[in-house]
Amino acid sequence: MGAGLTCLPLWPGTVGAKLLASPVATNRLRPPGGVPEEIFPAKCIRCGRCVEVCPYRSIVMLDIRAGISAGTPLVEVDRIPCYLCMKCVDVCPTGSLRRIRQQDTRMGLAVINRFHCAAWIGTTLCRTCYDKCPYAEKAIRLDQLRPVIDEAACTGCGLCTNACPVTAPDGGKAVNIEPIFARDKVTA
Amino acid sequence: MSGETTGNTPAAAQPAKRPETRFNRRRLAVLTGAFLLITVNPFLNYYLHIDFIQGWYQSLGVGRLWFVSPLEGLESLLITKSPYLPSLVAMLIPVLIAFFLGRVFCSWICPISFLLELFDRGRRLISRKTFLRHRLLVARKLLWFVLIAELIVSLVLGAPLFVFLSPPGLVGREIMMAVFFGKLALEGVLVIAVILLELLTRRFFCRTFCPLGGLLAFLGLKRRLRVHLQGADCTGCGRCGRACPMGLQPEAGEGVSAYCWNCGECVDACRHHALHFRWQ
Repeated sequence: MGAGLTCLPLWPGTVGAKLLASPVATNRLRPPGGVPEEIFPAKCIRCGRCVEVCPYRSIVMLDIRAGISAGTPLVEVDRIPCYLCMKCVDVCPTGSLRRIRQQDTRMGLAVINRFHCAAWIGTTLCRTCYDKCPYAEKAIRLDQLRPVIDEAACTGCGLCTNACPVTAPDGGKAVNIEPIFARDKVTA
Repeated sequence: MSGETTGNTPAAAQPAKRPETRFNRRRLAVLTGAFLLITVNPFLNYYLHIDFIQGWYQSLGVGRLWFVSPLEGLESLLITKSPYLPSLVAMLIPVLIAFFLGRVFCSWICPISFLLELFDRGRRLISRKTFLRHRLLVARKLLWFVLIAELIVSLVLGAPLFVFLSPPGLVGREIMMAVFFGKLALEGVLVIAVILLELLTRRFFCRTFCPLGGLLAFLGLKRRLRVHLQGADCTGCGRCGRACPMGLQPEAGEGVSAYCWNCGECVDACRHHALHFRWQ
């Protein structure tokens, strides 16, 4: 079994690449404090304690279809966002979720699509994301009644994405969370 | 039970004074308790939001007391090369247990052991044979090679394998997935495969192919608790050898070997009190 698994990533085509691919993408984020994707699947021991402790059921557990990331936690913010209760951070036994403060959480960065946002294209005076943001006036503020993100304060919790009433043609929302910090490199 | 169920006269069971299934009953009770813990706990978590206990036997958190399975912790440590103190501290108790008592996790706690025990008992209700013939035997030393191979493969891949393909962990994960998300993960077929392999040879997976068992056996090389043979009392009847789920021969003194997991089946099976657990 072991030998077969070792060879699988070396398979030609997309099969091998898929097995090693990261499940993190737009609106698919690691829980708060997650270490960069480069080492997350290595550090996480798939104990599921973050999933069990999450009171909002925000964290889902991946299965074998996610390749080597099977069993790792993921927050699908368009389904259920993270309410930043920081319980998962306290129970992680491996340090895959670093013990950080709520305001230091960087699950990703909210990005407003100005071609879809109702306030930006002028359809209506929508400020749902501004109202929902746990760091209103810091992470999202209104600039001439249009929402603007401040990357210095945005935690990437996804409350804005979850609340956004606009669905873009590509299936996303008018404000999406991009996991830019998950792409950090830890090794030289 | 391990007693002879096939048409023995009642008188044959008489000579043994002490109850014959001392350790078997206790072990089944502990196994059941350990399995109930990971079965009931997701329900408590999900429906009542009681999150005092989280996880299963990969990492178990009881309040502030944490346990991390040694192999999972070791893999994570080896691959990331960055030690995390809470993880190391949480590995301490399991490592100490393995160091002093040997592979008792495997025989007394592991949910796979519980399922296999149930499977055994269920099978005995149907078939008249107490023990099946071992159809496939592999060299016991393979256990060490499996452990080494597993670590090397994980290091090559850069991702720990046992953490998401370990049958003991999968049982807990499947139960949690079923409760929390109402679905089962596909990798659960490994658990079924391990249970079916039981028909081939008793504890086929546990005795040679479980890397966690290999690591615990390695930690327990110098363990204090061992099954000792009192040679004078042994009549060489071979009951202990038939009872041993690991395929060892306690009558030849293999109870002190690295492969023994201190389950106590042989101690129960011995009619002449020649086998004892001894702390040394």
